[in-house]
Amino acid sequence: MILIGESIHIISKGVSAAVKERNKKPIQDLAVAQTEAGAHYLDLNMGPARKNPEETAEWLVKTVQEVTDLPLSIDTLNPVAMEAGLKACTKARPLLNSASGRTDSKEEMLPLAKKYNTDVVISVLTDRGCPPDVDSRVESIMDTVAYANELGIPNEDIWVDPILLPVSADQKQVLEALEFAKILSDILPGIKSTIGLSNLSNGTPEELRGILNRTYMTMLGRYGFYSAIADVLDQELVRLNRGDLPQIVDVIHRAMDEEDLDISSLSQQERKYVKTVSTLLGRTLYSHSWLED
Amino acid sequence: MDYKAPVESYSGSVREVTIGQGSKAVKIGGESKLAYNFFDEGSIPNPPRFALEVRDTEPDNWAPWVLEPYKDVVSDPVKWAQKCVEYGAEMVCLRLASTDPVGKDASPKEAAEAVKKVADAVSVPLIVYGSGDDKKDAEVLPEVAATCSGQNLLLGPALKENYEVIAKAAQEHGHTVIAQTPLDINLMKELNIKLSKTFPPERVVIDPLSSGLGYGMEYSFTIMERTKHTGVMFKDAMTQMPIIADLAEECWKTKEAKASKEQGILWESMTALSLLLAGANIVVLRHPETLGLVREILKQE
Repeated sequence: MILIGESIHIISKGVSAAVKERNKKPIQDLAVAQTEAGAHYLDLNMGPARKNPEETAEWLVKTVQEVTDLPLSIDTLNPVAMEAGLKACTKARPLLNSASGRTDSKEEMLPLAKKYNTDVVISVLTDRGCPPDVDSRVESIMDTVAYANELGIPNEDIWVDPILLPVSADQKQVLEALEFAKILSDILPGIKSTIGLSNLSNGTPEELRGILNRTYMTMLGRYGFYSAIADVLDQELVRLNRGDLPQIVDVIHRAMDEEDLDISSLSQQERKYVKTVSTLLGRTLYSHSWLED
Repeated sequence: MDYKAPVESYSGSVREVTIGQGSKAVKIGGESKLAYNFFDEGSIPNPPRFALEVRDTEPDNWAPWVLEPYKDVVSDPVKWAQKCVEYGAEMVCLRLASTDPVGKDASPKEAAEAVKKVADAVSVPLIVYGSGDDKKDAEVLPEVAATCSGQNLLLGPALKENYEVIAKAAQEHGHTVIAQTPLDINLMKELNIKLSKTFPPERVVIDPLSSGLGYGMEYSFTIMERTKHTGVMFKDAMTQMPIIADLAEECWKTKEAKASKEQGILWESMTALSLLLAGANIVVLRHPETLGLVREILKQE
């Protein structure tokens, strides 16, 4: 799976302060760390960028391009900042992150993907919010992708985002997103996909977030999911994605297939993955203590 | 073609929990199907139980029509509790309002002695709720547990902040514990898992918080219903505890219940009936006429 490093995010206090002060060092440190950790893309999340959107986006892109050759994912809902960010990408073809089925997004974001010939993330969000189930996700994405196609953006340039909600907030939605991922390539041949993986574990105690993220990534990967915006500084996640931990992948797949998998012969670590699969598939009710359940 | 109604049978069941000791002992829970699903397979060995509420201090803002049935006894928790039993309560729910640190801030010892007097004086099991202040309850409830050792009170609320000390005391002195979480099924399960590491799950009752009709009751309903679904239908051991619906205060503090007697009793009755349908195993009421009305309706089941 293509991993898009998520660490340069305006919600992070260090990043927010560095952007405000135009202090390159903390941003470049994160860019280098994620590049070395094995990221394939770097996400630059600048939030709504209300103040000086053009100048901020340009500064951020240039700052990161000074230390890495990786392609960038320009992540903002502000179309002005988006355009400036895309324009500043000189090293590799960027990813516009993101457009959606919202009216303003169709009108202001999607044309930018065409204008700058970028790849583009299109989420299933609509003017009515996040679709609640697989069918409404399908309905939303078919509509938005058709709109993008008409603008001249081919399926191959589109990365569909099913929108992942925290398992601690709405366990059912985690399953809905997975089911959607399963059928995506059948309903839209040639389409790519991505997901905000860490949102899954938002609200879960910090030390337990990794295994949720890693397990779900592996489950998605089984269905040919293309990429994830993820914490690449989690070494086990990168190793798992690279194929260095085949026995873990195998145990996750078996847990997906067999509800009553016999865990007596499994290692402590493997059991944790089995329990996590069971929680993510909604077989057991989530609690922060799911590994001890 | 004849219509044949589908009959469901489930593989899980709610734990049967005993409250009270000896001749006072009452069993709750134990059901292996959903509440009032009389058409399905499985059994409901114990009907829901009704408690009436007593305070250890005189209430100051109750509507006159809910104070009226108790007007001669509100200054004496023992007599008040006995009155509740006369009115037909199967349990008494004693609320230690006096221990609230922002109120009278009574000492744990005072409170515990008052509990003991009530427990000894009534012929039914006793539910004891602390003030809800997690720090103060961590002092009060263990003292109550020790003073009433062996009486198998239903003690709470044990919260995520103080469950360890309350469970330890309940364990040592043979009581049952109310595990309370704020209207969130995931946090509810979380507390049950933590509690069950050191405390027998057969002695836990869930309080998911009960909101009054019109003030979020549907949240309580959903959580109770889902708790039963995961426990009875999906055999989740950590949601198979019986449920207490502590709804009286939430109903009687509404402006609707304070507007007229009839409306107040209907407010409390409708909330109680709804939460019974969701699967509540103990219902805490305040007005004896509510108790009569709800029982009357259930008889016509």
